[in-house]
Amino acid sequence: MIGWRTCAAVARVEILRTMRSRISFTLLFMVPAFQIVLFGTAIRPADLKVAIVVAGPPSAAPLAQMLHDIDGIAADDVLRAPGRAAAAVTDHRVKIGVELPAGGAGDSIRVIVDATDPAATTLAENRLRAAYWQKVAGASPDAASAPPLRVERLYNPAARADWGFLPALVGVIMMISAIMFGTLGLAREREQGTWETLLVLPVGRIAVTLGKIAPYTLLGTCQGLVTLALAAGLFGLPVRGSLVALVALMPIFVAAHLALGMAIAARSQTQIAALQGAIAFYLPCMLLSGFLFPLEALPYWAQRVSEALPLTHFIRAARLATLQGGDAAMVASQAIPIAIVMVGAMLLAAVSYRDSRR
Amino acid sequence: MPADETTVAQAVGLCKSFGPRHVLDRLSFTLRRGQMLGLVGANGGGKTTTLRVLAGLAKPDDGTVRVFGRDPRRLTTADRRRIGYMSQSHALYPDLTLSENLRFRAALLDGPIEAAVSDVARYCGIEHLLAERIAHLSGGWARRAQFAALLVGRPALLLLDEPTSGLDILTRRTMWGWMRSLADAGHAIVISTHDLVDAESCSDVMYYTAQGVTGPMKPSSLAAMHDAPDLETLVAASTVQRV
Repeated sequence: MIGWRTCAAVARVEILRTMRSRISFTLLFMVPAFQIVLFGTAIRPADLKVAIVVAGPPSAAPLAQMLHDIDGIAADDVLRAPGRAAAAVTDHRVKIGVELPAGGAGDSIRVIVDATDPAATTLAENRLRAAYWQKVAGASPDAASAPPLRVERLYNPAARADWGFLPALVGVIMMISAIMFGTLGLAREREQGTWETLLVLPVGRIAVTLGKIAPYTLLGTCQGLVTLALAAGLFGLPVRGSLVALVALMPIFVAAHLALGMAIAARSQTQIAALQGAIAFYLPCMLLSGFLFPLEALPYWAQRVSEALPLTHFIRAARLATLQGGDAAMVASQAIPIAIVMVGAMLLAAVSYRDSRR
Repeated sequence: MPADETTVAQAVGLCKSFGPRHVLDRLSFTLRRGQMLGLVGANGGGKTTTLRVLAGLAKPDDGTVRVFGRDPRRLTTADRRRIGYMSQSHALYPDLTLSENLRFRAALLDGPIEAAVSDVARYCGIEHLLAERIAHLSGGWARRAQFAALLVGRPALLLLDEPTSGLDILTRRTMWGWMRSLADAGHAIVISTHDLVDAESCSDVMYYTAQGVTGPMKPSSLAAMHDAPDLETLVAASTVQRV
């Protein structure tokens, strides 16, 4: 038989404790409110606008005109020299390039799509196709004579959604683990009192920060390797680029988030407050880094914010090293912004270490 | 009292508030080598804050404090090595063994590890527990372990925040015995305590009340000043008044 009186008494105490805890209140209402406003403003998949580059001989100018004013497609008025559109896609400057033919019979329009992240391009690809045929039908009664579209998907020809998010997921898993290890490890030390003891002991803040980060950096890198191996082994994710460069990037990425976690924990009085800080950090990262939504779906300001997030750059590096076949230099180019965040986060953690004295 | 070569710590006009509550109000004292200064009084009087200020963990709102002649928040590494701070929490890694905890402490202090560990373990009678995890120790043994960790590196200044709270009488007496011998050996000790009978053996005490801090002075003089036979009667009476 259920003891309703006991149940009610326990429930009452829980409600009282929750209502009297500013942290619980913030966690329950303030953080979700902030996230709803932020993401409701920033995440607009329906507004996805994919930039395309159009190339072809001057004689193809009328055809190029047909590619303007298409919903979800941003094309400029410039008709580039033949081959430039394909090059823009392979250089990762745009997601879609259109190579127009000279106009001979049997020629087709090449639509070269960077299908690394199908979520970003499938909709645009379909819109482009539908709008083209609509315009052709409207402009000429003999639509059948118009050059057909030939879509060439690069890197992920079958537009597999799992290949699209698995490289990014490796980064997300590493990020969450690192930020959690950083925040909860230190917050637990604060509650145990060992943190305070460390503050009194003759130890340098840099040495403590590095000592705390080093082992988890190694663990986090191993975790990244295991998840990448699982993605490749279980889902056939190809690793066409520089795996070495990606693996070299992992410790920098993990260390950046461990240091950020430590900085959050050093400013938090309890484990729950540290946890709240960690969530408040990594949720926007997931939403604004291109993991859940294509960056093209974000407004300009959110795209600028995403450039400051290490996850955005790690996702780019992971896609380069796996699907896109990027060489070591291309993958490593993403290390610079991550390394900047890592150094800044370590300094912040080191400063917070001493500042956590009250 | 002016500072001289025997002065370990000195506070002048120390003030500290938490919101509207004035915890320390123009507190002044000098601590010398071999002195055991007891901080007594009801909870919430500012004893822990005094210790935290001396340890460099809290910044006073006003006044000056010097430990080994310097601001405790800006001590050199060498000076910091001479401070041992024991907080009310056990402050040892519960998932590590006692030996691992002591070795960690010795490594941070940059001294010989093996000798330091066996030395303090023998002194505190916990050699048989070296392989035990802290989480598996009883409260009393964990306190001894914490005290042993404190003694690694033989600090010249010991700041002890209720080191004997919650202990059985035997362990309590043992720990007070250690503290007295450490003071006799020249260590300076500041101890916050509710063991008022044992606190009579402190060389000086400071008495924390809602009206401020009295002392430092000899425990017998403090009791006599308030017409009390001993410290325990004095503090009990003031606590009852407060309640």
